[in-house]
Amino acid sequence: MRRVAVIGVGVTKFGKHDRTSSELFAEAAADALADAEISADRVQALYYGNVVGSETEHQLHTGPQAASILGIPAIPTTRFESACASSHAAFRHAVMEVGAGVSDVVLVGGAERVLNVLTPDSTEYFAYASDAVWEQTLGLTFPGVFALIARAHMQKYGTTEEQMAAVAVKNHKHGALNPKAQFQKEITLEQVLKSAYVADPLKLYDCCPFTDGGAAVVLASEDVARKSRRPVWVLASAAASDWMLLGDKRDLSRVPATERAAALAYKQAGLAPTDVDVVELHDCFTIAEIVATEGLGLFEPGAGGRAAEKGMTSLGGRVPVNPSGGLKAKGHPIGATGAAQIAEIVTQLRGDAGPRQVNRARTGLTHTLGGNTATVLVSLFGRG
Amino acid sequence: MAEPALTLRHFFERARAGQLTAVRCRKCGELAIPPRELCPACYERAWEPVPLGGEGTIASYTVIRVAPRAFMADAPYAVAAVKLREGVSILGRIVDIPLERLAVGLPVRFRPIIRDSQTAIGFGPA
Repeated sequence: MRRVAVIGVGVTKFGKHDRTSSELFAEAAADALADAEISADRVQALYYGNVVGSETEHQLHTGPQAASILGIPAIPTTRFESACASSHAAFRHAVMEVGAGVSDVVLVGGAERVLNVLTPDSTEYFAYASDAVWEQTLGLTFPGVFALIARAHMQKYGTTEEQMAAVAVKNHKHGALNPKAQFQKEITLEQVLKSAYVADPLKLYDCCPFTDGGAAVVLASEDVARKSRRPVWVLASAAASDWMLLGDKRDLSRVPATERAAALAYKQAGLAPTDVDVVELHDCFTIAEIVATEGLGLFEPGAGGRAAEKGMTSLGGRVPVNPSGGLKAKGHPIGATGAAQIAEIVTQLRGDAGPRQVNRARTGLTHTLGGNTATVLVSLFGRG
Repeated sequence: MAEPALTLRHFFERARAGQLTAVRCRKCGELAIPPRELCPACYERAWEPVPLGGEGTIASYTVIRVAPRAFMADAPYAVAAVKLREGVSILGRIVDIPLERLAVGLPVRFRPIIRDSQTAIGFGPA
């Protein structure tokens, strides 16, 4: 495999937009190309993530639509749907295309629009990522899925609602420093603990919001990247899956797909968890961040809650997690999330993150989870 | 090839009649509830249906208060992961147990939830 680098990134403001998902992607992609200082005619393919376009926009075939609205209709393009991990899955395949020598410059990104429909409808559409025969028929929601995981984690390790709340407080504190974030305001532990239950033991402030937004990154081969201003190297990009049904998982307090994808990624890069300086991970719910920090090997199983409570994952802590504000505060436009996490890590490794900059960040990790924890992507990035 | 030992349709027909069914691998003895083509333990294609007792205990549960549109009228309602006596686990909707009585380890018994032509997995008091 050839070495592959990210040479440009672009992210829209996250929140509510009166534009289609393809328009949001196109803005982010044009920004990414400008950041890469590369002309659009150099792009040889688009790998695109979009999830509920069929439901919220009555739109299939969003790959060519996104390329058309960007203004480069002739390149090969495919839409990836791996639930919330879609654009990170797209990224891994794009890395393989460039790594294999098929293309030298490839665009990766994603977008989502969901705030044009009401919450009971978006809740239903997101639940389509759980099993239609076994799980949707129970009225299981995504907060419900992670509530089952949270209860199992609390039961096994003594994790508390206060520890989960500490994740929300931390990510809002980080999000307040991110001008692209949906929520740029700090919240208190008391606010989280007093918010209404959505799916016990998860409360409103344990949950990420519904979000519109787009994100894109430009991938390049080593030859092209060497001529670019500030390449960030892809050290690894790995995927793993697990049983689709939550009932088939032996231990609900863990996410085996995270553990498998992380092991593959560390092996590809020749790195260990202790080498990671900054992490953007999938905190769709506060418990998801705690379980992910354990699955990625940053903390022992069961120690993630205490680590969050002690500030070990805050800016200035041992290993800062979600300096962007994470899905919780930055927002979670599901098709765009993986690409947006990669954009943040690239920004951090370039030293461009301003008030939310992680000091001396040389190695970064992104982790994106899809569905009932059945899909996980982990990628590693380096400056050198 | 012949039709699998247990299709989803067969499973839910039996469930509708009150019988929870699993498949067991005739080669290695692996037990699974959702029918699958290959045994995940030995990759053989030698399943046979086996009736389950329907008794188990709650391994984890949640009370869903913000529901999808189709379930809004039911909220709040509980969904649990239930570990069955035979060792396999399955998710189900909790019926006829007060929400405040729910606890990890609480014994429950399978009960189908029938809505028109649809059958879903439910668990009620043991």
